[in-house]
Amino acid sequence: MRQVLLIAQKEIKVALREKLVVSMGAVTLLLLGVALYAGYVSYQQQKEIITKTQTEKRKEWLNQGDKHPHIAAHYGTFVFKSKTVLSLFDFGLDAYTGTSVYLEAHYQHGFMFRPAQDHTSMIRFGELSAALVLQVLVPLLIIFLAFGAFTRERESGTLKLLMSQGISFRILTWGKIVAYGIILAVVLLPFVAGIFILSVSGIRQEVIPDVAFRALLLVLIYSVYLWLFISFSVWISLRSATGRNALLTLLACWMFFAVLMPKTVANLSESFYSLPSMREFRARIQEDKRNGLDGKTPRSVRMARLEKEYLEKYRVDSVQQLPFNFEGVSMQAGEEHGNKVYDHHLGKLRETFHRQNRLSSIASLFNPYLAVQHLSMALSGTDMHTFIHFEEEVEGYRRELVRKMNNDMAENSRYGEFYGYKAQSDLWQEIDDFTYQTPTAPVLLQLYHLEILSLLFWMMSVFVLLNYSNRKMKPLHG
Amino acid sequence: MLQATNLTKKYGNFTALNTLNLSVKEGDIFCLLGANGAGKSTTINLFLNFIDPSEGQATIGSLDVTRYAKETKQLLSYIPENLMLYPNLSGLENLDFFCGLGGKSYTKGQLEALLKQSGLQPDFIHKRVGSYSKGMRQKVGIALATAREASVLLLDEPTSGLDPKASNEFSELLLGMKEKGVATLMATHDLFRAKDTGTHIGIMNEGVLVEQFESGDVSFQDMEKLYLKHMHN
Repeated sequence: MRQVLLIAQKEIKVALREKLVVSMGAVTLLLLGVALYAGYVSYQQQKEIITKTQTEKRKEWLNQGDKHPHIAAHYGTFVFKSKTVLSLFDFGLDAYTGTSVYLEAHYQHGFMFRPAQDHTSMIRFGELSAALVLQVLVPLLIIFLAFGAFTRERESGTLKLLMSQGISFRILTWGKIVAYGIILAVVLLPFVAGIFILSVSGIRQEVIPDVAFRALLLVLIYSVYLWLFISFSVWISLRSATGRNALLTLLACWMFFAVLMPKTVANLSESFYSLPSMREFRARIQEDKRNGLDGKTPRSVRMARLEKEYLEKYRVDSVQQLPFNFEGVSMQAGEEHGNKVYDHHLGKLRETFHRQNRLSSIASLFNPYLAVQHLSMALSGTDMHTFIHFEEEVEGYRRELVRKMNNDMAENSRYGEFYGYKAQSDLWQEIDDFTYQTPTAPVLLQLYHLEILSLLFWMMSVFVLLNYSNRKMKPLHG
Repeated sequence: MLQATNLTKKYGNFTALNTLNLSVKEGDIFCLLGANGAGKSTTINLFLNFIDPSEGQATIGSLDVTRYAKETKQLLSYIPENLMLYPNLSGLENLDFFCGLGGKSYTKGQLEALLKQSGLQPDFIHKRVGSYSKGMRQKVGIALATAREASVLLLDEPTSGLDPKASNEFSELLLGMKEKGVATLMATHDLFRAKDTGTHIGIMNEGVLVEQFESGDVSFQDMEKLYLKHMHN
């Protein structure tokens, strides 16, 4: 252990005296700082807009005056997706999923104001988030730092002198890994501290209940990811005859893992499991709403069945004789039919999403970059599963709102007097303001077991590779 | 202290070292002479366990270097033809680092004294090694050997490329080590230095130790003739 620390100490001293390493560390820290600041500004701006607009819309709902409940259900309201404080670190899918949705009876509106729609294709390709810097650029810094770990010693002749002191390759390897780990930790420490301060200070307004725990998990998974890159780079250097070979091999691996494979997997999943266009999706829903899921039950048939069912149940001859307003019941029935059709089509759409995600998760077993990308989005609350959870909560809220409006209409108005009845503000107040909390990290991570497995698998593989090579290696070939 | 018994190294069909038998005792300086490719460096590398022998055994202090790699390395110090140190560290920092790896700990003052003792100019002790000449680096190597209290010194053409003054200083340092009982095995091209410093001389040709004798038994002229005879064979 003492020898490992001695080697680490020497490596750090040498690295600090190399201007290139210091400049690259400073550039990385600057990039992270810029990315974090940009994320923070965007988070603050959006949070302010959302808080302001949400308050206005709530006021509008409560002060809409006396109105028929069904008209109120159509007047509807807006719900906003608050950004999670960790989204300033990893933007994830936020730019594509939209930030607000209009809620009204009979109709599930799509999310609006997707930042990606307003951006150029270059921005869409990948905004500079701190997560992107850590996932893609820091590994490059590691490559430039560690490609010469052994080749430089071999080429300059210091390796023979080192080995003649009686130290083993195992000690030398771990000394170098510890050194690069410490250098990286020092470079990233101000950034990690910044993330923690922002996370902890944002708890009160936060939609993530376990933000500090998530921040800790983020530190853990990124530590594992960067350790993998350090160890892999040192291993390649150990196995390479020259620094040039080591650098080229590592850059080729970086290109493959961080650029080629993720794009290929995304294209393949789109080809294997293609999604319908929004227009197509909406058209299918409208068609099934009109004619029923079996295509043979139009609205008139469904309404006639409902009327017959109620007349028989209450043993009356006409809907006017029912002890409640049948219009409210029929509207709720129409609403429930619409929900069933929507759930059916959304279920199919989500199944395709899940298949695409599953393919990407399987691919992550072979690529730690994909694994850490998925886990990072999940822990930041900007992944597809969190969005689906949010969408379900919103839809639940919309259905409850419409149900309350229709029930009030059925209970308090009379058949045929649609415009005669007006509900008052006490009904509007019965609808609570929409609030949202993401699922907790342990719940969410259950959906990412392949990604966790991937990181464990890669850690073990790198350990085995290092151990094997350290045992077999000699300072000279032969 | 150093013993090679039927030591052989083959690379495929090529035999780099063929059944070498030699022994270097405490206080001996055994100089291996020979042309390039004669097997001198291969012998040194086998004693260092940098390569595995194809046959035979190399021992240091009766310990097989392949089985007791760590223990035998604790006994030796190695100075190659061109001692490479870390250019971004000073001579003192390099010495401190390598001593530490060998389990030796010295104060700054002691390290300075060791470097001065090995002939390094005081002005250069705290300067980065990047600015050192080859001779200065070799002196750091000698300081390291002294600091490690090595009982065996393995030298691979240590004076090659040094100017006569530096070469002479190096020889004096070696003789100082000899007085302390250090067993030295030195591969060299330099016949004069070998005769002047060595206690034993071995001539190698195409992987075979073709001649070995005590330095005092043969005049320089006879040694030169013997050497040339084997080289022409």
